Amino acid sequence: MVAERAGYTVTMFLIDTSPSMGTVRTVDLPPGPNGEAQTAEMTNLEWALQFVKLKIQEMIFNGRKTDQCGVIVFGSENTDNIINEKNGGYENVSEYIPVGQPNARTLAKIDALEPSSVCGDPIDALIVGIETQAEYLASKKTWTRKIIIVTDGESPIEVEDWEATVHKMDALDISLTVVGVDFDDEELPYTEPNKTVIKTANEEFYHTFIDAMKNGVVGTCAFALQETMRPDVKQTKSTLMGTVLRLGDVDTKSDEAIEIIIKTSKCTALARPKSWKKFAIRKEAGEDESSMKVDEDEDASVAYAQLKMRSEYYIDTTPEGEVDKDMDVKMEEEDESLLEEEEEGTEKPKEKPKKEHMEKVEKEQLVRGFKYGTTYAPCPDGQFPRLPTKKGIDICGFFLAKNFRRELSMGEIQYVWADPGSAQQQVALSSIVQALYEKDAMAIARWVTKDGMDPKMGVLKPVVFDEVDCLLWAQMPFADDIRKYTFASLDHLVNKKGELITEHPYIPTQEQLDAMDNFVDCMDLMDAGEKDEEGHRQPWFDTLLSYNPAIHRTKQALFHSAIVSDITTNPLPPPHPELLKYFNPPKRVLKRSREALEECKSAFKVKPVPKKVARIRQDGHVHALDEDDTLLLLDRKQPSPTARLQSRMDITVTEAEAEVSPTRAKAKAKAKPKPDESETESESEVEDEELLLSKKSISPPPKKPGAPLPTPERSLSPSADDMDIDIDRGRAPGRIIGTTYPLVDFRKNLERGDVVSKAVEDLGAVVTEIVMRPFASRRKGELMECLEALRDTCLKEDEIEAWNAFLEELKDKCTSEPGNSEFWSQVKEVGRSLSLISDKEAKKYGGTSDVSEKKANEFIS
Amino acid sequence: MPPYDDWNRIDEEEEEELQDTSFFEGKRDVILFCIDCSESMLELRDDPNYEDTQTCHVYTALEAAMQIQKKKVIVGPNDFVGILLFNTTRKAETTRNGNGNQGSEIKRYTYLFQPIGPLNAPTIQEIIQLLDAFRENSDELKSTFPPLTGKRVAMGDVFTSCNWVLRDGAPKTATKRVFLITDEDDPHLGPGSKQLITSARTTLIDLTQSGVTVEPFFISTEDKPFEISKFYSSVLLPTNLTDEDEIDPSDPSVLPESISISRIEDLLSQMRFREVPKRAHFSIPFQLAEGFTIGVKGYGLVTEQKKGTYKYFVDLGDRMEVASVRTVYIDEARQLEVDSSTIVYGMALGAGPAADEEEEESAKDSNARVVKAGKRPFFTAEDIRSFRTMGLEPGIKLLGFKRRNELAFEDNIKHSQFIYPDEMTYAGSKRTFSALIKSLIKKKRIGLALVLTRRNASPTFCVLLPQEEKADEGGWSDPAGFHLIHLPFADDIRAASVVTGVRASDDLKDAARAWIDKLSVKNGAYPPDSYPNPALAYHNAQLEASAFREQYDPTTFEDLTLPKEEIIHKRAGTLMKAWKVALVNDKSADVVITPGTIAGTKRKAELTVDEAEIRSMYEVDNLGKMRVDQLKEFLRSKSQPVSGKKAELIERVAEWLDAH
Repeated sequence: MVAERAGYTVTMFLIDTSPSMGTVRTVDLPPGPNGEAQTAEMTNLEWALQFVKLKIQEMIFNGRKTDQCGVIVFGSENTDNIINEKNGGYENVSEYIPVGQPNARTLAKIDALEPSSVCGDPIDALIVGIETQAEYLASKKTWTRKIIIVTDGESPIEVEDWEATVHKMDALDISLTVVGVDFDDEELPYTEPNKTVIKTANEEFYHTFIDAMKNGVVGTCAFALQETMRPDVKQTKSTLMGTVLRLGDVDTKSDEAIEIIIKTSKCTALARPKSWKKFAIRKEAGEDESSMKVDEDEDASVAYAQLKMRSEYYIDTTPEGEVDKDMDVKMEEEDESLLEEEEEGTEKPKEKPKKEHMEKVEKEQLVRGFKYGTTYAPCPDGQFPRLPTKKGIDICGFFLAKNFRRELSMGEIQYVWADPGSAQQQVALSSIVQALYEKDAMAIARWVTKDGMDPKMGVLKPVVFDEVDCLLWAQMPFADDIRKYTFASLDHLVNKKGELITEHPYIPTQEQLDAMDNFVDCMDLMDAGEKDEEGHRQPWFDTLLSYNPAIHRTKQALFHSAIVSDITTNPLPPPHPELLKYFNPPKRVLKRSREALEECKSAFKVKPVPKKVARIRQDGHVHALDEDDTLLLLDRKQPSPTARLQSRMDITVTEAEAEVSPTRAKAKAKAKPKPDESETESESEVEDEELLLSKKSISPPPKKPGAPLPTPERSLSPSADDMDIDIDRGRAPGRIIGTTYPLVDFRKNLERGDVVSKAVEDLGAVVTEIVMRPFASRRKGELMECLEALRDTCLKEDEIEAWNAFLEELKDKCTSEPGNSEFWSQVKEVGRSLSLISDKEAKKYGGTSDVSEKKANEFIS
Repeated sequence: MPPYDDWNRIDEEEEEELQDTSFFEGKRDVILFCIDCSESMLELRDDPNYEDTQTCHVYTALEAAMQIQKKKVIVGPNDFVGILLFNTTRKAETTRNGNGNQGSEIKRYTYLFQPIGPLNAPTIQEIIQLLDAFRENSDELKSTFPPLTGKRVAMGDVFTSCNWVLRDGAPKTATKRVFLITDEDDPHLGPGSKQLITSARTTLIDLTQSGVTVEPFFISTEDKPFEISKFYSSVLLPTNLTDEDEIDPSDPSVLPESISISRIEDLLSQMRFREVPKRAHFSIPFQLAEGFTIGVKGYGLVTEQKKGTYKYFVDLGDRMEVASVRTVYIDEARQLEVDSSTIVYGMALGAGPAADEEEEESAKDSNARVVKAGKRPFFTAEDIRSFRTMGLEPGIKLLGFKRRNELAFEDNIKHSQFIYPDEMTYAGSKRTFSALIKSLIKKKRIGLALVLTRRNASPTFCVLLPQEEKADEGGWSDPAGFHLIHLPFADDIRAASVVTGVRASDDLKDAARAWIDKLSVKNGAYPPDSYPNPALAYHNAQLEASAFREQYDPTTFEDLTLPKEEIIHKRAGTLMKAWKVALVNDKSADVVITPGTIAGTKRKAELTVDEAEIRSMYEVDNLGKMRVDQLKEFLRSKSQPVSGKKAELIERVAEWLDAH
């Protein structure tokens, strides 16, 4: 892989602005925030120009002075090109942007292109392009020449003598790319329906033309656009740095000491995402926010100004006593910026220092120095004299490669080559490389890159390539770089008596070990990749094909923001699939390991540890058991004034009773709506219920506030008459039916006559609520009664739709998780008389229903 | 297993804080040295290193404390250190408390030598002077800190004193540790010892609950062996692990790992292991597969330790104050500062001539992108982060397993990290992790994973290199865990710059093999411990001298990374000489190298520059006669720079010839 010489290129863009380019097309945009499909309408020209802009953006991005481009349009209203000036002809071709290094303005000019009213000939434009490029490069013969034609192929082409043009281009070593709007492509695959005759002919011509060329390609625009987003590794050729490999004392024992002239070059080098420039809306001096809003009419524009960084220096004039606190703050900031620096490569602004204690100082007043604890250590130069060192790589010794600790390798790897200009040096290094290779050993070495530079320690590993021998350098840590933290042993657990423990939740059992072995085997990647030529499967994952998603995604976003005018209406397309191809294990492996995985899951039983917060709340619940607390809590949760009144009364009653006779209070707690349950059993259950329910009352779901607590009073007076005074009906705000005595409430409201719809709706909601609560089974009889009453009312009062809707919802809720399937089966037992109301039934009472008799039957079975 | 509540209560506080400051040195570290000053600790004995000098345990302990302080003052200038002595009759002079650091009186027979506080040159110099005085007069320590005779102070009192000292002196958020140094394995003799044990235990629990860890350094000598079972094993809590977050939940309480019994000579190296408090860089889920996730914590076991950067100081007359730097963003054309919350991100506006006649204003509005009101062709900071993380949440996602040998030497780009299971986030993490290591070691496999360690990092592919547990007699053992080795992306990999070269004959190779064998260490490996960073040490030595206002003498500096040339020559000198002879006679070197022609470079006349010829010209002072291209060619062949005028080239050639 030899890198192409970057830059030194002139690319000519020939853009078709014939009338047909104005055809409007619908382009798919990335899905919106809710996953909905989005499209945009644009002309073919606008669409095709995206490709041109992306290409030019790449040049701007790389920022090379020697990477230049020019734009020629054909099908322009006027004619303005160098051949026409000299010889005439070549109508409707004009030089739109002269050759030069592109910038943001180039893109703006391209944006201004519009389809015209005349057709232009691409071959004319091509010849103009060749000439313009040739003239510009008259004195720069070695530059690379590229021409890109962007067209829809709908305009007539003068095909005569095209071979001459091909010869000319081959002679100049021009590479030609034809990007066609909706050209057919077998690989994409794409075939344009209803293609015009002329376009079919033109496409065919372009293919013939390109085939005749040494260096040409024709493709469809959709594919070209996709390809521009493909991650593209910027090939960097590592420079060879000269130095010396030494062994022994070359100064005093030069007869024995070895010195080889070598070159080093980088083997891996960390590439970072391109940094972003910072912008902010420019405000005119003296302008404030309000005046900004005033001119928000159609033509108003805002300027985003690029920001510059400036450092300001402050000193802390905080009185002594407060210093401590401030120091903490400062430290955090430092860390934050440290982190950012590492990530972004740029400095982040630190938090604004607290103004009141900070005093700005000019840079001239500052002296450099170090902190030695709290002591100032003067060092006006910013650094102390460096350790005197001598450039070169000194070998310190050798060791066997099997003892190399891979995890100590600290950074980028370097190649060490013998001087490419000296055969003797090559032979010398080769003999050492081969000897090391044969022995399977590595060298320990000390590298000084320049006289006086700080030395690094590392190892040299021999590498025998096809035609050359070299060494690889890996930097290794100094003693200072290693942290020897202690970790508890995973296997060796000892109890206080000093005995070894062999069985413990931390130590995997044999069954667990076997499950893991199986899992590891199934998740093997060695045969999970593509097949090679001989049909053998290759390992999955190759560093040479793994693109840094951050670099390429950032680049894509950078480009996108540069070519669109608004991010919100034209969001960034999804990342190229190539970037994500290693983000998940290969399907083949996942499929193969499914069983082993299940085995592992059940063998290891790993569970997330509940968060601390949850536990505090649990404590809170236990508290709520206290009767008074519960009631107070209830009180707080009652928003409607009547309900509040009721529960206040409630409290007084309870307290009074509790005072008079504790046993009675206890009896109240025991009392149950269902007399057939034994007392002892119910006691504990009531407590449970209260505990559980009170949990709900602490953080009730928004839909059902209110007081779901069954209060003890309900058993006191079952008659409906005096209930109103002293009982909490459990009515949610806005509801006319409470959870405590739903049926009584319902009947009462029906008697009023004017709130039937509301009563039906509320009873439905209340029943659903009760059913979904724990211990609903205790109120089964009551609930069935409610259902019967509700259905009856609905049928007679023409609330058929409401019943059918309610019942469907109830069924859904009961049968899904967390549901109450038990309750639903009880409904089913009742059968048809509680099912949906069919059209037949409805008719009897003069109503309508869209449910057939058959459906009503099936619904309940 | 007991419910979670019972066993992770104590360290929760730490855990929470850890989340906040998961990155490196964010938290201040406080160490209180708690040194026994009993008679046996002060007993004079022969110095093992120097003849005719005497030393004592207290001296060694103080020296170790001083060394730790010296290191700390540079590595963590914000850390606090204090020294407390016990079993001494010395009482606090009221003047000492003048600085207000120690508010309350501490227990009898304990003496606060240096209160907890930020380090500075005078505190370190104070110990150095004391130690020097002891070297002069071996009674110095005994008279400065007279030992308590005939009895011992109760350990409960010592812990209480520690608690008070730390409470008054240490910042709340810091990691607080007590380094307890004693040689007495049974401090409570005589009647009432049971009660004293109980009180020691309670006070120690108090200490632990206020977030302090006690790290014991028990000194054991031949004539006075240390038995922890006599007293300490029943007092020390399992929380005593150096590990800030490990508590063993198992019922048969596990013996504290870190109780170190050392010979007095090892005291300093033992302390060095524990000098830096262990802090996790990240705590993230490790997904082995869908629905199969455990918790892990990540640590940096290998990180380049750099020189500190200088700071800017302002001379305020009476003191030097550090100036804090604040970076502001301004719109240059308007000279207005911009609020950082309104900053949006975009692409640099291209270079080159921007002015256009139709936009006269543009000169004024340069460096700005103008769009219609309400449109925004820029991204927010949040967008930018999502581009980096690809929308992933921090975590390790296992992709599969490969053979161990698939991890190439050259697939490296930065230092590795180390992961260890975390039971606190997922119960069962340890057994799963342990089983995975065992399985991979057995099958000689490595894991491949997609890793995002922090929310604002970017994802990388990592190899999970399993490490088996291995005990080391040096007191430190290889822990079980995985090394995360960050693989380079295609973007990071450079092609080889040289593809062909002349190869050596087998004879020459054998000649090289001969001296390589002589210079190989049997069963050796790269020994990081033998190579302290010389540049860093040199810098720190000068920094210390500067702070002590002393003159630094560079000749006292020893660079341990230099190759041991004498030994090399002694062992292999003759073999190296033989190889050199063989090299000169080697036939394979008789090849004329035609330098690869690069497109665009002019062909030059054949140049042959013979070193002997140049040298002879130089000796007669006639280098000026040489042509510039000859000089350059010669310099190039010696890997010297070839820039500059002819005079500079001649000078450089002369320099080289001088040196060789």
